Amino acid sequence: MIEHDVFLPTSLPVLCVGITVMLAATAWRRSTNRSFLTGLATLLLALVFVGHHTGTARDNGDSLFIQDQWANYTAILIMFSSMCILLISWRNDANDRTTSLVDEYPLLCMLGTLGALTMVFSANYMPFFLGLEILGVSLMGLVTFRHRPVMPGYEAAMKYLILSGVSSAILLFGVGLAYGVTGSLRFMPPATTGDIYPALPVAATIMILIGMFFKLSAVPFHMWLLDVMEGAPVPVAAFLAVVSKIAIFSSLIRYFGTGNQPPFLNDILYVVIILTIMGGNLLALRQTSLTRLLACSSIAHVGYLLIAFLCPGRLQSGAITIYLLAYTASTLGVFATIAAFATPDGSDGAVIAQWKGLFFTRPFLASSMSLMLLSLAGIPPGIGFFAKFEIAATGVEYQRNLLLGVLIIGSIIGLYYYLNIIRVMMSAPSLPSASLNRHIRPELMALVIVLTIIVVIGGLFPARALHPLLPVSAIPSDTEAEMTMR
Amino acid sequence: MNPLPALVLLPVIGGGLAWLAERILPHTSAPARNASWWVMLATLIVEALLLAMVTFNHPTIRTGPWLEHFSMPWIPTMGIAIRLDMDGLSLSLIWLSLILCFLCACLATRQVTIKSGTFHFLFLTTFTGIIGTFLATDLFLFFFFWELMLVPMFVLIAVWGHEDRQRAALKFFMFTQGSGLLMLLSILGLVITHDRETGVLTFDYFTLAQTHLSPTLSMLLMLGFFIAFAVKLPIVPVHVWLPDAHTQAPTAASVLLAGILLKTGGYGMIRFNIMLFPDTAMYFAPVAMGLGVVGVLYGAWLSCAQEDIKRLIAYSSISHMGFVVLGIFTGSRMGMQGAIIQMLAHGLSAGALFLIAGAIQDRLHTRDMHRIGGLWTAMPRLSATGLFFAVASLGMPGLGNFAGEFLVLLATWHVSPIIATVTTVGLVLAAIYALRMVNRVFLAAPRGDQLPLKDLPVRQMAVFACAMIFLIVLGLHPQPFMTFSAPSPLSVIGVTGQGEHAP
Repeated sequence: MIEHDVFLPTSLPVLCVGITVMLAATAWRRSTNRSFLTGLATLLLALVFVGHHTGTARDNGDSLFIQDQWANYTAILIMFSSMCILLISWRNDANDRTTSLVDEYPLLCMLGTLGALTMVFSANYMPFFLGLEILGVSLMGLVTFRHRPVMPGYEAAMKYLILSGVSSAILLFGVGLAYGVTGSLRFMPPATTGDIYPALPVAATIMILIGMFFKLSAVPFHMWLLDVMEGAPVPVAAFLAVVSKIAIFSSLIRYFGTGNQPPFLNDILYVVIILTIMGGNLLALRQTSLTRLLACSSIAHVGYLLIAFLCPGRLQSGAITIYLLAYTASTLGVFATIAAFATPDGSDGAVIAQWKGLFFTRPFLASSMSLMLLSLAGIPPGIGFFAKFEIAATGVEYQRNLLLGVLIIGSIIGLYYYLNIIRVMMSAPSLPSASLNRHIRPELMALVIVLTIIVVIGGLFPARALHPLLPVSAIPSDTEAEMTMR
Repeated sequence: MNPLPALVLLPVIGGGLAWLAERILPHTSAPARNASWWVMLATLIVEALLLAMVTFNHPTIRTGPWLEHFSMPWIPTMGIAIRLDMDGLSLSLIWLSLILCFLCACLATRQVTIKSGTFHFLFLTTFTGIIGTFLATDLFLFFFFWELMLVPMFVLIAVWGHEDRQRAALKFFMFTQGSGLLMLLSILGLVITHDRETGVLTFDYFTLAQTHLSPTLSMLLMLGFFIAFAVKLPIVPVHVWLPDAHTQAPTAASVLLAGILLKTGGYGMIRFNIMLFPDTAMYFAPVAMGLGVVGVLYGAWLSCAQEDIKRLIAYSSISHMGFVVLGIFTGSRMGMQGAIIQMLAHGLSAGALFLIAGAIQDRLHTRDMHRIGGLWTAMPRLSATGLFFAVASLGMPGLGNFAGEFLVLLATWHVSPIIATVTTVGLVLAAIYALRMVNRVFLAAPRGDQLPLKDLPVRQMAVFACAMIFLIVLGLHPQPFMTFSAPSPLSVIGVTGQGEHAP
């Protein structure tokens, strides 16, 4: 039972208070700028309090929340990304005169962040599922926030609503099964107790896994992501690609721990990883829209991350930590650059052909964009180079030869489409590229500079980011043997 | 202060300054536009002084085979350090690179008027990557530089190249990077095997040379390295990127590609394939030598059929690099020395030929041999220079290329007379394509429609003359180069045992 002394990471109540303040402020008088500022301040405050908690953790592991280094690390990443995304979206809403109802936007962003944080900190199915749904529902609102062409936004939101609902239902069913088997809502794979049919816990685990793969958009559960990200406004697409993925991946790690995973999980993961890397990269090859391409590449990156997840060992922790950091920084950098070219009348630089000749007209932004793309492709001096190197190291350590082959093929394909964007930026501008914004806002410029510095410094001196942060296996060793039974 | 990190960092810092120089100064007047070029020249001069200091500041030059050593921790948790070592092989290849950079600076890069600062920055950054590759003895650092030099080269080709530049640049990058990933896996495999054996996670070249590998694993790891170097060198089935990249690149980048970048492949084969896996490399040698012969013949044959001057030189490079592979895998000291001499000589002669092709293109705006002809009367100096380097490239006795090819053939003869005999056909073909080019471009009757052309100025002739002198010295008196540029055995820095395997 949960007692009155609730163990709660302080960041969560801080965010809740911030959101309440934002709500109250909205009720009193609407002001977009104030909403954004309150949101940023709240996130900053929550960042400051990330290591603290209220109440005491219970020894038997029955508390709702958990706070360890892994949770703190992903929470910091999530809050940092949310701040970046708020910065990216600021102008879109502050200067856009076509809609007046805009201070819901930062509010929904904050709610989504709250959901993601709840997932990261949860040690129990209940807060995990609550967090998942808070994140999902606020994302649905966010996806429709497109200014001019409304229809794609609605279509994307509908798609997201239905598919996310289905996946949540599957996940919830799995949770129910797990509860039925073990009688506990602890956030860990269920194990058989007593005379329960041994297939039940396995089925529960697989259903929960499918739910997570859906949200993580691993192939074959990836179809929604491309359309949703394309239909959503650029900052929201970034939110989908970064914040929600980090939250889900963090929970995945928390759920299965990093110890020995049951063999059926290995088999499933093997297939899913191969499909995810190849599917994501192949889908990206023929995209003409930059957000769609980034959606595909984010699918592929999930595949690379899962390789590290599948290879527990000495190098795993560092690999996952630095890969998440590299992915977050580089992806946010790309999205910030895309948003930098957005014009008030709605065109947001998401079509690759619009980027023609950018190296000659905006050399700095084009260079930083290229750096981000190279980092995503895994070329030095970006941080992504070291991250991919670490992923390969974990794979070699565990001799996952097939996966390594897929990693290489995927990387080469990836190289092609990332370089293709750089190639387009370098080609001579044939027609006046008036479609892109000429006046870059200073705060976006600052953000791009900061992210560029992170990517370069992280690539040259990655030693700082290598810390063993992952939680240990959640499965007690005596139940592990029973888990292996199919 | 240790000169090695300075050697690596100087070009990129100079490049940054060159870029700034162009940005800060108003680029309306010609002197201001040349500012970045002057910065680049100054950088190269300082680099040369530094290198001369390293070369001559060692009275005990032959007592310790490794001339310089530098190391500092980089990523301690992974056992990665910034570790640079220099022996005769790396030193001579860095000298070659530097000389070619001077040639480029004096003859080609000044003509770059579009964004010259950025061009010089990228050029020098590539140079940094190349020097780093020649010096790194930490495998992670080696891989880092190996990848790093590709990016600026990609941009150089894609922005300043000729008509079909972007496709060529993409092809170049995909081939070299893709094969680089295989090398990465090999490096990791070696490191992890060593880690399993000893419990020490390290990327140190000398320590890893001690790893005991099963024959299968050793072969697999060596192949990973070999494929990466084979693509860079290039060896025939994986040479596809080279003709396009060389043809489409701007002159300076062509020189850099043919003169130095290809040499990193040969260097890697000597340093990593032969010295890290000596036994496996010898086991693999027949295949490698076969590939080398195919390269020699195939490159020479296709070279005979080219109409584009730059393409012709590019294919001839494939042919000449075949000799390098052959020499490296003969397993004898003589073959290795031949390969190194061949690398140095080919760097100079192919680099100079690309410069001449570039000069012709600047004047006539075409590289098609059908449309160029009989330049001798119009441009005697340029034609004579071209003749000299074409003759050098076909392997005239007395010039560096001949010394290299002769040594390689001699070493090959000891291993297999048949292979040596077949390879000599390549020399005949070399005479055909080189003389055909000379005939068509320089000696044939002049075409009527040619505009009055400006010959090479005396200043540029002086620069070319330096390269000629080098080639002649290399050809007439190769012995000092052979002793000087021999790779150092592994056994010196705290390691024993493996040294005697190394040639």
